[in-house]
Amino acid sequence: MSRRLLGLALIFPALAVIVFLFILPLIMSAVGAFQVESAFGWGNFVKTFDLYTKDIVFSVVIISLSTVLIGIASIAIGGYLTLGEHPVAVAILRWLYRWPMFIPFIVVGQILRTFLAKNGMMNNTFINLGLLTPIDAQSFLDWRGIVIAFVWKQTPFVTLLVAGAMASLNRETIDAARNLGASKLRVLIEIVVPQVAMTLTVGLILSFVTMMSVLSVPLMINAQSPTMLTADIAFRVNSYGDYGVANALGLVSLVLASSVAWIYLRASLKERA
Amino acid sequence: MKRMSYAALAVVLAALPVRAAELTVATAGDQNMVDYINQYLGPMFEKTYPGNTVRAVGTGPGDAGSQKILERFDAQSAAKSEKWDVDVAVVHEKFVGPMVDKKYLDKYRNDIDTGKLVSRDNAKMALGTNVEGYVMPMFNSQTAIAYNPALVPTPPKSYTELAEWAKAHPKQFGYNGIKGGASGVSFVMGWIYAFGGGDANTLMNGPFKQDETTKWDGAFKSLADFTKNATLTPGNAGTLDLLSRGEIAMGPVWVDMFYSWQANGQLPPTMKLVLPAPGMPGQPMHYVIPEKAAQKDLAEKFIALATSPKVQAEGIVKKFNWYPGIDADNVKKELDDATWNKLFVDISPADLAAKGKPFPIAPYNNAILEAYEKSVK
Repeated sequence: MSRRLLGLALIFPALAVIVFLFILPLIMSAVGAFQVESAFGWGNFVKTFDLYTKDIVFSVVIISLSTVLIGIASIAIGGYLTLGEHPVAVAILRWLYRWPMFIPFIVVGQILRTFLAKNGMMNNTFINLGLLTPIDAQSFLDWRGIVIAFVWKQTPFVTLLVAGAMASLNRETIDAARNLGASKLRVLIEIVVPQVAMTLTVGLILSFVTMMSVLSVPLMINAQSPTMLTADIAFRVNSYGDYGVANALGLVSLVLASSVAWIYLRASLKERA
Repeated sequence: MKRMSYAALAVVLAALPVRAAELTVATAGDQNMVDYINQYLGPMFEKTYPGNTVRAVGTGPGDAGSQKILERFDAQSAAKSEKWDVDVAVVHEKFVGPMVDKKYLDKYRNDIDTGKLVSRDNAKMALGTNVEGYVMPMFNSQTAIAYNPALVPTPPKSYTELAEWAKAHPKQFGYNGIKGGASGVSFVMGWIYAFGGGDANTLMNGPFKQDETTKWDGAFKSLADFTKNATLTPGNAGTLDLLSRGEIAMGPVWVDMFYSWQANGQLPPTMKLVLPAPGMPGQPMHYVIPEKAAQKDLAEKFIALATSPKVQAEGIVKKFNWYPGIDADNVKKELDDATWNKLFVDISPADLAAKGKPFPIAPYNNAILEAYEKSVK
């Protein structure tokens, strides 16, 4: 067997998996989105926008907000790990921050459901500390719960990438800025973050796409109206057996996800040029 | 030569059908359904018919679970499989009609003794499709309004009273919309039975007429206002959670879940149930056998055992607080009065007969859900 054939044979299993389990279903669902009772048409999209425009906007707003908060939190944690001067605090933070990464989304949903409820652990703690009166306690099991779940779960992932990039920076630039009297915050914002901007963007885009696909969190925290697109897709399939509109909704979220991927591609091309 | 004949013998032996068979039972529903089969029905069946084993496959909670079983059948039918890989399936009422229409099911009820013990109408018609003979109800479940008597001394007797109460007590009524489980769906269906401009009996029994779907505008408008004033809960369990923590005073729940939570201590024993007029829907789960099941004979024996008065009494009523699938009188004989009465503490058999409604037939069901999505935002 020639080397070339051997090479092909070696990649064949991986290629087959991608073709049959990713590309083929993608094409089938894209085609299915335009199928209305075995004819082609826009019917599914008309229904999608008629019923779910609010949910589409809601999903984009929630996920964008979460992405921004994840960005801020991961810069803060990564920055402290890089610039922090208290070795014990740095060690503790380094040990702690990764934990949420190993907890599945559905467990996060379950934890927050009891934590954020009106009489949940968070409010009870505040009430016992005297920071809140029982009558003012309110439930966070709505859009805020979803944002909290996403930020809590995705921050470590982005931090891991960002902190890695920060650690591999040339420390001389940081030290030079410190010697010239720049505060730590200024060093972080003006020296460190610009140098890891690309890594940060990649991390945030991967998070954005991951959050687009999470079903368990909206189902457990807020499957009401408006809700996330994933909950609507599940509802179309499970309650109506309607794959047409579900496919159309899937295509809408694909467009949303690929628009951020496009930003990323453009940025990386610019960097190489 | 000798070695060759041994090999041939081995091949023949391997090809012979094994006498001890494995019965595959696919069930929709929560983990408790899988546990019920694995821990209770399965071992009992294996003891009654030695040498056979039962394998339970859970396909997930809610309609999604039944949808998966239907899709499994669709796939095997499209592939023209001779023997299907499911022998007995437990599915929600809504999915039985399509299965019968597509001729996936075996008409087995007259073949088993317990078939004669079925008395309720929902074993004949399933949301508008005639399924007589194809199904045996495993149990019947019912939704009702659970309330906290400390906060609601006189519970509303009807949907009208309920709506007034909720208006006077903002955010004290909680329900889970339509995307978080069937207790919310059931509450919405009851709302349309009560306030929809058409005839509720047409919704339940058919026939489907497009005009009927235009009569609900007023009902949905009032439901949208009602919902603004209500607390939305995360799921069937969410409503019970909020009720037990005192965050809401009232909400629609599944009766069996309510009693099970009370029995486990997850819900205070003081909580009560009421079934408001004109009524709320409930539904059975059905045992079905695919036409092309590999072990049809064994499957029938399994269902006959599962629907025998003794098992219905011990397993369905005593263990899970479900209403029995077969005629209640036959089950009552097997139980002591205390256990039996526990089922009817808050909702009397007369209430149940008068106000326990079926869900609307499938096309109305979908039309109502979609209208809800459109108007309650």
